[in-house]
Amino acid sequence: MVKLALRNILRNRRRSLLSAFAIAVSAMSIILLLALVEGMEVDMRTNLIAYYTGEIRIRSSQYARYERYHPLHLSLDDEAITTVLERMDEVAETSGRISFPAALYRGDRSRPVLTMGFDFTRETAFSNLASILSEGRLPHDRSNELVMGAVLAKGLDITVGDRVTLLASTAAGSSNAMSFTVVGIVKPPIGSLSSSTLYLSLERAQHLLFMEGRVQELVVRSTGAVSLPALAGEIAALVAEELGIETETQAFSQLNEMYGFLRIAKYIYYVIALIFFLLGSTVIINTTMMVIFERMAEIGMMKALGMDDGKVRLLFLLEGAFISAAGALAGVLVGVLITAVLSRVGIDFTEAMSGIEMEVSSVLYPSITAFTAVAVYLYGVAIATLSTLIPTRRAARIQVVEALHYV
Amino acid sequence: MSRKTLFIITLLLFFSCASLWAITAEEIIAAVDANTSFASSHSSGAIITVDRFGEKKSTFEAWSKGDNTSLIEFTSLAERGQKILRTGSSLYLYYPEADQLIRLQGAALRQSVLGSDLSYEDMTRESSTLASYDATLEGEDVIDGIQCWIVKLVAKSRSSAYPIQTLWVDQERFVVRKGLYATAAGRALKEMEVIALMEVGGVAMAKESRIADLLKRGSSTTMRIESIEIDIPLPDALFSLENLSW
Repeated sequence: MVKLALRNILRNRRRSLLSAFAIAVSAMSIILLLALVEGMEVDMRTNLIAYYTGEIRIRSSQYARYERYHPLHLSLDDEAITTVLERMDEVAETSGRISFPAALYRGDRSRPVLTMGFDFTRETAFSNLASILSEGRLPHDRSNELVMGAVLAKGLDITVGDRVTLLASTAAGSSNAMSFTVVGIVKPPIGSLSSSTLYLSLERAQHLLFMEGRVQELVVRSTGAVSLPALAGEIAALVAEELGIETETQAFSQLNEMYGFLRIAKYIYYVIALIFFLLGSTVIINTTMMVIFERMAEIGMMKALGMDDGKVRLLFLLEGAFISAAGALAGVLVGVLITAVLSRVGIDFTEAMSGIEMEVSSVLYPSITAFTAVAVYLYGVAIATLSTLIPTRRAARIQVVEALHYV
Repeated sequence: MSRKTLFIITLLLFFSCASLWAITAEEIIAAVDANTSFASSHSSGAIITVDRFGEKKSTFEAWSKGDNTSLIEFTSLAERGQKILRTGSSLYLYYPEADQLIRLQGAALRQSVLGSDLSYEDMTRESSTLASYDATLEGEDVIDGIQCWIVKLVAKSRSSAYPIQTLWVDQERFVVRKGLYATAAGRALKEMEVIALMEVGGVAMAKESRIADLLKRGSSTTMRIESIEIDIPLPDALFSLENLSW
């Protein structure tokens, strides 16, 4: 039966190739689409952990309620909480941070900026700003020094060595300003960070904001031994028990809605894939229909010689399955090949994403896992093969007498 | 002359005299401005802000010369050494740890002073109210047992921070007891009420007043003058940019 099916496929190679091509295009499109979404998800996860929330973020339980007022007085004792976290086996690294809005003045020019107070040594496990330095160096502790995003520096015509003044609201409810020397330029992968953010040492941020020893939040990196939401719950419980402090402790995936959407988007793309494959399968359905009408006499002959309806149906189903398998394989291979190239070169979305506040890098590197590639292949073969069931039912219903009219 | 004609003439005379005695809105506002204008002054006081997060007290010392020149230096711990200099329509902020003076202009003037209900713009208001506003007398009212005139001020310029002001002016002392500051559409922005008065140089002025930014829920600021000297000699250099960092 397999031999017969293969021989029938090769009888009209051009038509078989056309059917396989339709499936291949569908499979390749889906591979590229999923590679882009997976690349985006991986990129967003990396960026969220590095620059925004760590794997787990700890804040005062009241902070979220008043977040729009930037309530810096709702802070945490960095040392006390770090001591508690260091005793937990599942916690690998921690870092205290303060992020606050400020006005940056240089001469008569000013503009609003987001300022991050980082402990650069502890941040090696998170943002690792040294790896994105394009010029200069990181600030030294207890020095009025900062590094700023490349786009921000360019916009204000600032170079390494220039002095700038930062004016911010303090945790005491007053305002304070300090001047800093720009000692480095960084190029964060996210456009909005590059265009509006500057980084100074945590100790200087605490001094500027009257927050000595306090931090706005602590970020945590786990050993990976337990799930992040479960670890977040454990941390909150331990901090409450040992220090009597109620915190809002959550995993990054719980904190970022967009990341959640992106994960859901993957499933939406599987539905889109179904539509793609069904469209591709119409070519197979059409071809099989034509083949059935062309081979009506042959079908009648086989039935007259004793082939039952099931076997006739199986024959055409096998033909569809082989074409689908070949087409899907070619499509998946080409898709994986293109993804491999793009994962090195990247796709530059700088223009398209300018002005969009999203924790996704301006240059995206699509990626695809072996599991996804195999899943798309099997998914494509299954849908296309099942689609051929429609015309094969017609072939099975052909009566011998009716078929012999075509002889 | 009949008795009827005599009555009408008497009545007309009475009303014309009454109109001669009646005070106009412009005269009320001019008197209020005169009461708050000094050749120079030196004062100290406190700004107490109460908001959803609690109470915060900042203390200050202030010097002024003429109508548009003033210097405020904060003396409380959180703001020690910070200064605000007003010269004409310009406002400069000095911070001890900043190299440069920060000149506030445009939208930055709308920022709150030390997180209070006062904005920097409030500190740059013209002392001649009538130069910026048209005044009309709206009626009379009693505030805390004191008879007041209600004067409505409508800004001549569209760029004014408070296009409409309604002031309750003490009829005896010519001091504003209460003020309501609103947008051109009539939406209330701020409310001010005088809690205590003091006598300075023979005129009454607010010793303690409460200001509420009506756009900030649950927030109010009390401004208290602890001491004030007026018409004292002050060097011009005190108000210069060069001397701001002494």
